[in-house]
Parts: sequence; structure tokens; C-alpha cells
Amino acid sequence: MSALPFHRRKDVRLAWRYLIAVLLVIVFVFPVYWLFIISFKTPDEIFAFPPVWYPASIQFNNYAVLFKDGDAWSVWNSLVLASVSTFFAMIFGTIAAYSLVRFKTGGENLAVWIISQRMMPPVAIVFPLFLLYVYFGWVDTYHGLIILYTAFSLPYVIWMMRGYIEDIPLELEESALVDGCTRWEVLWKVVLPMARSGLFATAVFTFIFAWNDFLFALVLTRTEVTTYTVQVTHYFGGQSNFWAKIAAMSVLGTIPVFFTVAVMQRYLVRGISMGAVKG
Amino acid sequence: MSDLKITNLHKHYGAFHAVKGIDLDVPSGEFTVLVGPSGCGKSTLLRTIAGLEEASSGKVEIGGRDVTWARPRDRDIAMVFQNYALYPYLNVKENIAFGLRARKFASAEVEKRVARAAEMLGIGHLLQRFPRELSGGQRQRVAIGRAIVRDAILYLFDEPLSNLDAQLRDDMRVEIKRLHQELGRTMIYVTHDQIEAMTLADRIVLLRDGVIEQLGAPLDLFERPSTRFVAGFLGSPKMNFLNATLSPDGVTLADGTKLSLPGRKTSKAGQAVILGLRPQHIAMAGKTVAPGHERVPVTIELVQPTGSRVQVTMPLGGTSIVAELAAHDVSRPGEKTHIDIDMTRAVIIDPTTEKVI
Amino acid sequence: MPAIAVHPDRNFKYWLLTPAIFLLLLVGLFPLIYSLIVSFMRIDMMDTDTSFAGLYNYANLFKDSRLWWSLAHTLLITAIALPIELLLGLAMAYLFLEKMPGRQIFIALLVLPTIISPIVAGATWRLLFDNKYGPINQILGWFAGERVNALWTINPTLVYPAIIFCEIWQWTPFMFLILLAALSNVDKSQTEAAEIDGARFWRSFRYIVLPAIWPVMAIAILIRGLDLFRIFDIIWALTQGGPGTKTETISIYAYVQGFKQFETSYTAAIAFLVIAILTIVCTWAIRRMGLAK
Repeated sequence: MSALPFHRRKDVRLAWRYLIAVLLVIVFVFPVYWLFIISFKTPDEIFAFPPVWYPASIQFNNYAVLFKDGDAWSVWNSLVLASVSTFFAMIFGTIAAYSLVRFKTGGENLAVWIISQRMMPPVAIVFPLFLLYVYFGWVDTYHGLIILYTAFSLPYVIWMMRGYIEDIPLELEESALVDGCTRWEVLWKVVLPMARSGLFATAVFTFIFAWNDFLFALVLTRTEVTTYTVQVTHYFGGQSNFWAKIAAMSVLGTIPVFFTVAVMQRYLVRGISMGAVKG
Repeated sequence: MSDLKITNLHKHYGAFHAVKGIDLDVPSGEFTVLVGPSGCGKSTLLRTIAGLEEASSGKVEIGGRDVTWARPRDRDIAMVFQNYALYPYLNVKENIAFGLRARKFASAEVEKRVARAAEMLGIGHLLQRFPRELSGGQRQRVAIGRAIVRDAILYLFDEPLSNLDAQLRDDMRVEIKRLHQELGRTMIYVTHDQIEAMTLADRIVLLRDGVIEQLGAPLDLFERPSTRFVAGFLGSPKMNFLNATLSPDGVTLADGTKLSLPGRKTSKAGQAVILGLRPQHIAMAGKTVAPGHERVPVTIELVQPTGSRVQVTMPLGGTSIVAELAAHDVSRPGEKTHIDIDMTRAVIIDPTTEKVI
Repeated sequence: MPAIAVHPDRNFKYWLLTPAIFLLLLVGLFPLIYSLIVSFMRIDMMDTDTSFAGLYNYANLFKDSRLWWSLAHTLLITAIALPIELLLGLAMAYLFLEKMPGRQIFIALLVLPTIISPIVAGATWRLLFDNKYGPINQILGWFAGERVNALWTINPTLVYPAIIFCEIWQWTPFMFLILLAALSNVDKSQTEAAEIDGARFWRSFRYIVLPAIWPVMAIAILIRGLDLFRIFDIIWALTQGGPGTKTETISIYAYVQGFKQFETSYTAAIAFLVIAILTIVCTWAIRRMGLAK
């Protein structure tokens, strides 16, 4: 290749990069494609041999069944649980991060302890919590899971928001204090607007954590607040008859996340890179 | 009536003693400048007045009210910060209105006051812009506007001009002086720049290592410094300091030059002293020697024109001194000439206590 | 930088922390203490004996080969998947480091697997791996030239490749994104200077790029390592720990003990063991890497 002039070498390089990029996209996106496509297939197409690579026509019967049976309700449950817990985790986590950053409350030890909670294996805490929840009668309730999701997201929120809050010039807050704001007003009128993009990015990831949870929901729900992830596993079994339902349910549960990520993309890119850089 | 009264104020940061027992009384309507080198405690003092720092001990009274432990918002103060502290997510109008809104002013009143402040500062046309769309000088005007829309007893300025370039700084200095004259409010202004201090202040508080070194009207400090530090800090170019020995009717420099000190008798002949001469009090020799002046032969070493004036460096009494002369008195380096020193304004300093005798 | 004076609002900073600390104690400290206490009793489905049983459960932990196997399975998956995710993610980050038309679209598409729920990812691969109607065997058949009938989620020699492949598919994009952000922040002038000095790619990577991205990379490795250590969802969706207990990880095993066998005290002992190990390892790692700052 060294015989080629410089600009030609660059073209060849670019071509290779495109070729690899396309192959990667095929590998990584094909499973998603397959999931979506199964949800639109008729049973005959699903259980065809050899497999049908694309359905003859898009049909929504698989989804209609989910709505008719009321199974689709589980997506609504997930939405309520993830949204409300994200809301509270953002509030509690942001003010806690503010306290850690501005007042150095608890010093480094408290910060380390809080971050180390991010590492808690769910399976280790879910069992004692299950017994506690049984005692309180919180199993299979919205508030039970909301409290758990909120608490479980907090270390992440505090960790991320700490970085964003550190970037806010102290003078802005001091100026607001002199101008007549209370401490809470400073938080509301200065800190939150200044940390806006960080808040959005963190909120999206917090939402996704809660949305994607399976183990907590598996243990702590029965019938009332079943989340879509638990609902999907209800269709697992020896038989393959439920394939259409698995696929359709999965797609229903995936679209809100894709949608959120697409809408918030602007903040996410900044959030990821800043979070990564700041650690 | 005094708007600000500070009694025996101390501030510690751990082992570091930043403010060491300051007493200060600021009368209503006065423009007070806290000046001193960095680390002298001037900013800490201002922030303690604002309630942004906690006093370690002592008392702060604003408008006759003890506010030592009050929140910043309850102190009836307004403050302009060094880095402007503008909210990037609010436009100029809302930035100026921020304090009024925080204090729940009626919106008609807010409109009226913002308009008046904007007009006063000449930023009426910028009200809909955002801080990022403004120049440094415009941002500083908005920051000042945010303070003056309020009806505070005390207006605090924390080095507000230090981020501006030289030209803008001169303009804004005039602007602030004018505002003070128009509003007649009590203002406390922190700076490390002695020119700002001299030009703006009704009264200068010169701080050093957490204590007040000297306090008084700018010209008083300039003409009658109480210590070598004050004498050296104020004035540009800096005061010349020469080692000398007291004689019965004057001083003798290290090279034997004798200079008389009119109107001053001493009984301590033979004591080592430091003679302080302001560059402005040295002139080229005229036709006659004016009363109280001393004529000395010198060789010009270095010439630095500054426009209307020229700074001339020359050896004298075993060291180099600087004189500020009229531009057309200029001599060339190496030239031998004579200078007249106004000894009536010379300062004699005790080298051990560094106090002016 | 001096902090804002606190005196009149002395308790403000504690009010701010109160809800977060309360919730963290609920999910962090309560299970730890509870597990510790219950693990010294002998509570199971038949018996609610709350008298002190000493180290009975802990002694059992050491005799329980199924526990140690589950730990070994967990470490096996971690040891294989983590390096592959890291290297593949790094290679992909390099591929997309330079600008190229359509870069943003490629990146957006590649990120899709990561934002999908692990349970959905597992379910998807379950469908893909199906021996008869799944496309994987079909595609392998094209290369093999004959019909392939691999039982991916049943055959003991194939379940690990299946699980690890699914895991890599889902989480490599995560590594990729983080490393891409880290690489983009490496000072270009430094690598260019090295290139001018004639340094080969490897040397410039080893001595300039790696030290620069290491803080971020360390965090990514830590996060992924811990996630892999507690892997549950994907395996639950693919094999439920089967065939037999062949793919049982520590999380699956603890779940089975607690919620299928109702061995309350024994599960508490396992939970305490896992929490204790992870807390120590993490606190050490966080301090070591200076993450708290």
C-alpha cells in the first residue's frame, strides 16, 4: 500500500473503516432486527424452516393479543415505577450531591461509602428486603418498588451529579444568597438550572436502570405491579408457542427506551463524555 | 449615623489567622476602599461583612443592627462579584431583576427599577440578550446593575474590575465613581490596585496581614503615610527609599550627601533611618532653589517616557532612585545634571519599627 | 476555595442528605445487618428456629460444593467476557475515533444493545439460538455446508459460549462508548508529537494514550467487572442456570436458595458473604483509584 500516493492511501483506509463499521453494525443490530421482525410475523412465519428473514407483510396481531389479555398493562407499570423513582432519585440524589460538594459533609468517607453502595449485588439485598417488605405489606405495591428503585439509583445519581455541581461557580450561588435567596431557593433557582444538561443525562440513565430491572420486580411483585421484564419471562417455557408474545412484549418494553434515548441524545453524549472524563 | 460598624473582628481558617481584630466604622454615604496586597485579608473581610464567611469572633453591625450571625439575605446588602456572577440561563433583564424577584417585588415595580438601572448604566438596549452575548465591560455593567436595582444599605464590590483590560477598567472606574455620586449610597470596595483605591475612595482602609495598617482619606495616606509599607504601597512609581543617618538639621546619605530637613529638629543625631522620597517630589533644577528644596548633582541612568511625564532613574546615596519629571525636561542617559528634592515632603522612617517618624 | 458560611443554616447540609442517607441505609445497611443476624440462626421453610446457631451456616458454606461451583461459573464468565468486551470496545473506539461521514449514525446503532433490558437481550438470544427456527444455526449451516443442529442453551459445552456471546453483544457497546469518550479527550498534540518522533502505534498507545485514558478505563472495568460478578438476568432468560446447575452463578444460586428452597438463614449467610466481599473489594478499589475525589 506504501506505493500509493498519500490521498489514495487515505481513501483505502476510509473504505476499510466503512467495511468494518458496516459489519459491526450488522452483528450488533441484527438481533434487535430479529426481535422486532418476529413480533410482526404470523405464527407460520415464526415457525418456518428455514427461518423467514423478513415477513411478507407487517401485521400487529401479536400486539393486539397482548392488549386484549391485559398483559400490556405491565409496560404501564414499568413506566410508572421507572418515572416516579427516577423523579425522586434525581431530587434526593442531587441535593445530597450538593451537600457533599458544597459543604464537604461527611468528608471523603461518606462519599466512598455512598459510591460503594452502587456495587451492592441486587441478589444479596433483595432477600432481606423481601422479608422486610412482607412484614410491611409492601410486596406487589407501587410504593414498595418505587422506594427500592429510588434507593438503588441514588449512588449513581449522587456520583454523577457531584461532578456537574462541582462545575458551578460558587460566585453564582453567593450572589443569589446576597440577593435574597434562601438556601433552598439557591438550589432551585441557581444549582438546578446550571446543572440542567447533567440532570437530564443522569435522569435518562436512572430511568433506564429502573426500566430494565428484572430481579427486584421478580421477587417483589406478584400480579398487581408486574413489570414488562417479568411479564416477558412468563412466556418462557418448554414450548415455543409464546414466541410471538415474547417478541411483542419485548418490543413494547424496548420502544420507550429507544424513544427516550433518541429524544435526549444531545444530553446523553455530553453526559457520557463528561461522566467519563470526570469519573 | 454609621452604616457599617465592625468591632474586633477575627477570622480563622484552621491555623491560618486571616483577619486579626479589625475595627471599622463606615459613615453613611461614604465610599470606602479596602486595599492591600493579595493575602492581606481584604476579600475575607468583605465576605464576612456579606455573611458569605462566618466571623470567628467579633461583631458586624449594618445600619445599626447586629448582623454577625445573620444570613446574607437578611443583611440588607448588595454585592458585585469579581467574575460578574451572571446567570447564563437568564437574559440581562432577568439577571438584573433576580434580586427583586427573590424578594417578591411586584412586577410593575421590577420593570420600573430594571429600566431605571439599565438606563443609568447605558445597557437599556441589551436587556433581551444573554450573558454569553455580552462583552466583558457589558457583563460588568449588568453585574453592577443587579446590585443597584436593590435598595440596600450597603453596596459591596469584590475586585469588580480586575478581569477587565486596562482601557475598560479606566472607563468603569469613572462609571462607578459617577454612580456613587448619583446614588449617594454607602459603598465598600475591595481592590489590590492602588490607583483604583486612590481615585475612587472617600476613605482608604489599607490592610496588611489581617490588620489595618492605616486608614484615612487617599491624600492623607499619600502625603502622610504612617508606615514604610503604606508609603511604598501607594503612589506610582513607588516611593524611593534611601538609607541615611540623622544629623542635627537633616540627614546624611550613605555616600555622604547631606540633605537638610527644614522645620525638623532632632535630638537623635547619629540614628540610622530610611529616607522616603516620592518620585513626584523630585524636579529638574530650576533657576533658583526653592525654599525647603535641596539641589543635588546626579548622572542620568535610564529614561522611560510615559507620555506627559517621564520616569528617570539615577543613582543617589548608594542606590538608584526614580524621579517623575515633566516630559520636556528629559535628559539623555549618561548626562550629568542637577535635581531639586522637595525635602518638606520627605518621609523619615525608623528602620526597626518601619514606622514613620 | 472557602466554603459558604454555614452558621445560620447550620443543619441545612444535613437536611439535604437525610432522604438519601435514609434510603441508602434501607437498601445498604439494613440487608447487611439483617443478613448477619439471621445467618447465625437456623431458619428455613420447615423451621423458624431463632436461637443462636453459631457459625453453623458459615460452616455449611465451606462444605457446599454447589456454592463454590457457582462462584467458579461466575468467575469463568467474568474472566472471559470482561477482557473481550474491553479489547473489542477499545478497537471499536479506535475505529470511530476519527471523523467519518455517518459516524453519529453508526454510533447510535451500535449503542442499541446496551440500552435494551438484559432480560430482553436474553430473550432475544433465546430466539436467535433456537436449534430449529433460530437464524444462528441457519447461518452456521451456510458456512458448514450442511444443516447445523446445535442445542445452544441445552448442550453443556455450548451454553457458556452462548451466554458469553450474549453478554459481549450487550455490553461491548457500553465499553465502546466510554472508551470513545475517553479517547476523544486525549490531547492530540501529544500523540502527533510521538508520531513525528517515529513512535509506532503500540508505543504511543502504551506510553501516551493508555495513561491518559486509564482513569476512565479503570472505572469502566470496575463497573463491568462488578456487573458480571452479579450476572443474573441474561442467564435467567437463557438457561435459568441449566442444564442442571451447569450455568448457575452466585446470584442464581442465592436466588434459588432463598426463593425456591426457602433456606432463609443459609441464604442470609451467602448474602452476607457476597456483600462483605464486594464491599471490601470496592472500597479498596475506589480508594485505590481515587474515585472519591
